[in-house]
Amino acid sequence: MSDPNVLVLASLAEGDKHGYAMMDDIERFAGVRLGPGTLYGAITRLEQRGWIRPVKSSEDRRQPYTLSAEGRRNLEEQLSDLNQIVRTGLKRLRHA
Amino acid sequence: MKRLARYFTRLYPRRWQARYGQEFDALLEDANLTWRDVFGVALSALGERYMSEPIVLPRIVNLASRDIPHGYELETAVEYPREDGSKMLVRGFCREMDLGDSYVTLSHATRGSEPAQTILVFGRKGQVDGDFRTDETEMLVLRPDGSVHRTEQTVRTWLKYDGLGDRLRERYRSGMQAGQTPDQIRQQIEEEGTLQSWS
Repeated sequence: MSDPNVLVLASLAEGDKHGYAMMDDIERFAGVRLGPGTLYGAITRLEQRGWIRPVKSSEDRRQPYTLSAEGRRNLEEQLSDLNQIVRTGLKRLRHA
Repeated sequence: MKRLARYFTRLYPRRWQARYGQEFDALLEDANLTWRDVFGVALSALGERYMSEPIVLPRIVNLASRDIPHGYELETAVEYPREDGSKMLVRGFCREMDLGDSYVTLSHATRGSEPAQTILVFGRKGQVDGDFRTDETEMLVLRPDGSVHRTEQTVRTWLKYDGLGDRLRERYRSGMQAGQTPDQIRQQIEEEGTLQSWS
């Protein structure tokens, strides 16, 4: 699983984060290091779709983001689909 | 490294820079950047500028590398698809020379029919701290109008990049000598997860 969009959504599911905190979090929970260009490519798309939005911050430059209700719903759908694939794959491996 | 990444940030469209520029700059400041990150920033910026969704990866048309005394030369030609279906060719030439206590990097690139721009970096190697080294650098940007923009900076260099870059160049060189196309080599590297295992 290395889709940057899903990784960003999954990171924000834990709470609001700015770019560097997302990079760090994603590396820890998924073992994937998203470079700054890839990360902000995902942030740009996700904000355009309304799945994440910027939140006010006391820091001038480090902009945190939060998951919108639609983003949360979309993440749940994608993880559910993924879970189905994983369960089916494991089941088939056991019977192979 | 950060200076180069910031330089490539200028390739993003103005509307993108106006919206995300400051926070992206803060991220570049916080992160330990690698050459892959710098390359990723350039690709992402050109993607924002020239590509519509879904993002189509650029295609390496040509990549040639040769050894020279104290270093190597690299020639690249990368094709970027545009929104209107046309393609833009970005040609680049890079020469890197390691002179022991110091190094010199020259890069020369042109996008489509735009005039070429040349960047010269002179670096004096500094103290090593784990996988990183702190260098004093001077960067000269030679602009198409003949003007020169000069910046001096202290930068942190990721030492593992040297090994990664050498292995990647060798992989492309041996693959092309064996008759593989750049696309086939890149696909093989991605499928094998070679970059991850090297870094």
